[in-house]
Amino acid sequence: MTGRLHFGLGLLVSLCLGVGSSGAARGDQRLVIEAALDRQIVEPVLAAFAAENPQIDLDYRDRSTLEVDRRARDPESPPDVVISSAMPWQLALSNDGMAQPLDAPEADQWPAWAKWRNEVFGFTFEPVVMAYRLELASHMPPPETHRDLLDLLTRYRQWLDGRVVSYSPRKSGVGYTLFQQDARYTPRAWDLIAAMGAANVDLEATTQRMLEGLSDGRYWLGYNLLGSYAMVWAQTHPDIIVQVPNDYSLVMMRMAFVHRDAPHPEVAKRFVSFLLSQRGQHILAGQTPLFSVRDDVIGPYTAQRLRDQVGDHLYPIPINATLLAFVDPLRRQSFLRRWDRELQILEPPEP
Amino acid sequence: MMPPRTSLKRRLTLWLVVIVAGLGTLLLIEAYTSARKAADRAMDGQLEAASLTIAESLQWPEGNPTLEMPASALQILATRWQERVFYWLQADNGTTITQNADLPITAAMRAEARQHPVYLDAIHDGQPIRLSGREVDSAGWDTQEPVQLWVGHTRHGRDLLARELFRKSATRFAAMVLITAALVGIAMHTMLAPLRRLRQALRERRAEENSPLMLDVPREMQELVETLNRLFADQRHHRDALLRFIADASHQLKTPLAGLQSTSELALTSNEPGVWHQALVTVHDSAGRTSRLAGQMLSLTRLQHLGPLHERQPLALDRLMREITVDWADRQDSRDHDLGLAIEAPAPVWVEGESWALRELLNNLIDNAFRYTPPGSEITLALRGDDAWVTLAIEDDGPGVDAESLDRLTRPFERGHRQDTHGSGLGLAIADSIAVRHGSRLQVSNRTPRGLRVCLRLPRCQPPGGSAG
Repeated sequence: MTGRLHFGLGLLVSLCLGVGSSGAARGDQRLVIEAALDRQIVEPVLAAFAAENPQIDLDYRDRSTLEVDRRARDPESPPDVVISSAMPWQLALSNDGMAQPLDAPEADQWPAWAKWRNEVFGFTFEPVVMAYRLELASHMPPPETHRDLLDLLTRYRQWLDGRVVSYSPRKSGVGYTLFQQDARYTPRAWDLIAAMGAANVDLEATTQRMLEGLSDGRYWLGYNLLGSYAMVWAQTHPDIIVQVPNDYSLVMMRMAFVHRDAPHPEVAKRFVSFLLSQRGQHILAGQTPLFSVRDDVIGPYTAQRLRDQVGDHLYPIPINATLLAFVDPLRRQSFLRRWDRELQILEPPEP
Repeated sequence: MMPPRTSLKRRLTLWLVVIVAGLGTLLLIEAYTSARKAADRAMDGQLEAASLTIAESLQWPEGNPTLEMPASALQILATRWQERVFYWLQADNGTTITQNADLPITAAMRAEARQHPVYLDAIHDGQPIRLSGREVDSAGWDTQEPVQLWVGHTRHGRDLLARELFRKSATRFAAMVLITAALVGIAMHTMLAPLRRLRQALRERRAEENSPLMLDVPREMQELVETLNRLFADQRHHRDALLRFIADASHQLKTPLAGLQSTSELALTSNEPGVWHQALVTVHDSAGRTSRLAGQMLSLTRLQHLGPLHERQPLALDRLMREITVDWADRQDSRDHDLGLAIEAPAPVWVEGESWALRELLNNLIDNAFRYTPPGSEITLALRGDDAWVTLAIEDDGPGVDAESLDRLTRPFERGHRQDTHGSGLGLAIADSIAVRHGSRLQVSNRTPRGLRVCLRLPRCQPPGGSAG
């Protein structure tokens, strides 16, 4: 009985294979992308690539950063291309030999500060911002710098209690990276965290959730949101103000690489090259809020334009081996321990 | 002319190539290994810096080792070549503190690192890497336990650095080879210049020219030029001797021929058969002498132009001398002289020689003695000697010759100022030629109180058939 079933299955499989190989070219040219990047945001780029390569069957899987990392390390079914905003994890994947170098003119010309080992490429330039509800401005001076934020949290704690939201360093790789980087730049970041803790900060896993909360009115003030998402949101939600901090603003870069064991390496390389190419970056700058890295691209969303608008206090998170320290389990543990401690360190205000 | 088998230039070039290839291989291997070593030395410093930075951050807050991985340490490890970086920390009790890769660290490596910091090559993930391990003593409130700290990175930068260093040495070496080749080329050209000059000088000489070469050549070639000059001098002497011989021979032949002419002319003016007869007798005698002269000249020339000895065989010299003495004693010519034989060596005396030549030598010596001594002279053919050498001598008690002629007696047509004989003047010359053919020379000396002695020394040899004489 079981034997017959196997036979039947085998026949079915071989039939499918036969059809696949004799049929259209779509079957061979699959491209599996594991990405921590909202599909709807990046859709114009994917559409342009699909239009240029109609024979390629694009399988774009949108997941969280930590899930992307887990999938990339799964030896059973490796993806072709890995895209994630969790920069330390992407770098760790490269350091563990999971990426393969990209041998293309686009890759060679890519700015050195935005790539690592010619394997991992930061292809977007997304500022990290604060966002607040318009009505906050009627109760207090809106924050423009990190110091302003700390002052607000201290002085208007009653107003802001339970109305502050930020990234969860535990649930989100991006959130963890941003707070690590904040703490690296100045120890006063811990004061800010402590102040947020005193204001009973809510921690969300995605920028999307934070923006939704702000629009709902659950939150008045959000800290460390991805500017790319926030700016798009603010266009349709006029009650939300996006503020690029005036003292310093971190810049997060989505990082992409071709997986070492990519089942379709040629297509994968073509896709990453497309992301880095002038055409790909042009679409990025014109039709997505992801900001193009290239200097030779013109559009509303380019790193150059952003610099012109907010001045030169943009600090891209450096793409180098220092990021690897962030994913060290001991360091992560000790950071989270301190995070928890700092959140509790200030006594909540007397009721 | 022999085809040239070897070329100096080609040989020098070959040697140069062999030496350069051999030496070059060794040098390049050495350069490669030392380039790698230099690169490792330079980059191991980064490993050390990184591991010291990490060691500094190690702490034991609650009895458990912990570490806030310093970002700078990893950046130092990565170097500007963006290496993949690895670290591995383990307490001595075996608990892993933290690591980012399963490094191939063996128990032996850990034991060594316990003694002193170590640097070594390893393979991780299919890639060659460089590892450094050290033991760190860290103190806490509750525990004091050493920690093993290993850091490593891939070899990309080292390989680039080593390749760069190696390329530099290889370039230096190639330049050296080219310069050497050019220098050797120039040197070869310069060194061979005297040879070319010599060739030019030799080519420009006419056949009859035999004056010495006057060339400015290096010391090493001076010998060659001297040898050539000696050869030219020999040629000159030989040629002089030949010319003198021809002149003498013509002169010697001319005298009897002139005599024949005058005798026949005189006879032709007369009608007397008696006179004719007398003239014919004179002509006959003279022709006989001339013919003998010509025969001797021929024999001398032949002796001097004979090839190497090939008919030399052992012969009993005493027996030969006895035979010839007996032969001469029976002749008409010996009636006026007293010919004696003195064998004063252990007989039989075996010597290596050509029988016909030694016979000719003896005949010439005896004939010579008869001709140049007055009638009644005592002539002794003597053989003296010991077991190794014998001296063959002919002695007379004639007038001898004056001292300055002694050395010239063996030259052709030399008669020691004696015009009173019919001798051709070739006897001793022929005898000397034969002596030379037997590896000896004629020695002519005056005897006291009077008389002449001509002798030659010959080595004795084993008798044929091996029976000792």
